[in-house]
Amino acid sequence: MTLEIKDLYVSIEDNLILKGLNLKVNGGETHAIMGPNGTGKSTLAQICMGHPSYKIESGDILLDGESIVEKTVDERSRMGLFLAMQNPIEVPGVTNFDFVKAAVQTRMAKDEHLRIGRFILKFEKASQDLKMGQGLAHRFLNQGFSGGEKKRNEILQMKMLNPRFAFLDEIDSGLDVDALKLVGENVTEQKSPNLGLILITHYQRLLDYIVPDFVHIMINGKIVMTGKEELIKHIDQEGYDWVKKDLGIDDEDKKPYSLGTCPSKH
Amino acid sequence: MEIVKYLVNNPNLIAFDNQEIINNAKIFIKNNHLLFRSGKEFFIFLDNYDKYSELNLDIKENQNIKIYLITYQSRNFKIKYNFNVSSNAKLEVFTNFLSKRKTTASIALDFTLGENAYLKLLNALTFKGRIELSSLVNLNGKNAKTEIELLNVGGNDSEYFVNQTVNHNEIATLSDINNWLISTDNSKLKYTVTGKIVKGMEHSKCHQSNKGIMLASDSEIMVEPKLLIDEYDVEASHGAAIGQMDELQLYYLLSRGLSVQEAKSLIITGYTNPFINMINNQEVAKQLTSQISRLIRRKTNNE
Repeated sequence: MTLEIKDLYVSIEDNLILKGLNLKVNGGETHAIMGPNGTGKSTLAQICMGHPSYKIESGDILLDGESIVEKTVDERSRMGLFLAMQNPIEVPGVTNFDFVKAAVQTRMAKDEHLRIGRFILKFEKASQDLKMGQGLAHRFLNQGFSGGEKKRNEILQMKMLNPRFAFLDEIDSGLDVDALKLVGENVTEQKSPNLGLILITHYQRLLDYIVPDFVHIMINGKIVMTGKEELIKHIDQEGYDWVKKDLGIDDEDKKPYSLGTCPSKH
Repeated sequence: MEIVKYLVNNPNLIAFDNQEIINNAKIFIKNNHLLFRSGKEFFIFLDNYDKYSELNLDIKENQNIKIYLITYQSRNFKIKYNFNVSSNAKLEVFTNFLSKRKTTASIALDFTLGENAYLKLLNALTFKGRIELSSLVNLNGKNAKTEIELLNVGGNDSEYFVNQTVNHNEIATLSDINNWLISTDNSKLKYTVTGKIVKGMEHSKCHQSNKGIMLASDSEIMVEPKLLIDEYDVEASHGAAIGQMDELQLYYLLSRGLSVQEAKSLIITGYTNPFINMINNQEVAKQLTSQISRLIRRKTNNE
């Protein structure tokens, strides 16, 4: 069970974001991707899910050796990819329960029927595990949810859908300390040889609860360094400047800029 | 007689059907005048009845009643309903104007509200053909209040011309209009929504919101929201948001494995459900749900 990203170049509105990214994730592994703002971490998650705004210029994404770049978003999901989004979308009028039920049913064979009692029990258990409170099933999807509730609802969906590879895009943002611990514990519980996890984060604190096997640093659209836990501590203490310095990476954000021109008299 | 099945034996039915009146509810009817003396829930059904071009419905003081007004016309028709809602009365009206085949209809709903009277108007529109619907609410008593919710699912190349007006003719009156519009095929939905606060009618509140989704490239929704405010010490707002289905919502549902067709159906269900959930009678709600499903399924299946 592998998800492999090969020499991937991705653009949005003619801006090249990913510039030759390579990554291989095996089932059972947890990878953390860290990096400064604007380096393409979320783009990586979105392009793997098939977001229509992004365009693959070259390279490939392989799931168990099969290219998925021509697959639609829903096909990728049913093949086992999952993206816990940084900004989960609100869908008014659609209840959480109806939505998750529909999503579960899409994964069933045509002659298979949903055992509704069993489904309800599983939904309630997941809801309790994530301390989502009573009435979650009947609340409209993400509408009126706090930032923390939205993130926990993403993890609830992950638990219900049992993906094979899950991207968790800044799942820690908007969570207080207790909620972060809760989310971390719930994600860790899901770890198994049948799940590959890709955590996208800026901070060490999420990785205190979900311990990664590999830590990657992404700068300027590609992974520039890979290590283990010691890398997290180094980044937490010193930021990313030392990486750029060690590897001789020019910071594209620090372009000289003009304040304007002054007319001169001759 | 072709009264819809779920109403035919209803004890609260008043049917105007093929020039005959069936008064199961035993309300007082004289000529075209309907007087509701007691009871809480009534079903008024019309099919091929053109003896009267106007029907007058009187809701007495302190009464609290619900009226389900369902027409099922198989030919062109024109009718006006005058509702007189007396002081302290509470009236909830649900309307669903249906047609067996493509017909032309012109329907006017006029309401006059006395002091502290309350009107909740739920208009469902899934009519086949061409319909002109006018609803006029005159808030003539102090503290009179109206809430108007309208769900229009246009299909079958049909045309809908809707004119909604609320006149605030007394102080501290309140109106709130919410229109939910869906256009499938090349149906055309044209709305003029007007809230008017007359000079001196201070502390009044007048709000309206219009939302529309166009599901086909040749769908058409046009909304003209108007506020005519002649008094300073009031609250008023209006808005109209019309467009294609939200791409981000669609992407989110697709990312969980729903097909495009399933995702669109779910988003539309989310759009129509809040209206359907406001209908107290389960049978009426069920009928409307299946009408909408047929229209939407046809559209999403055709894609």
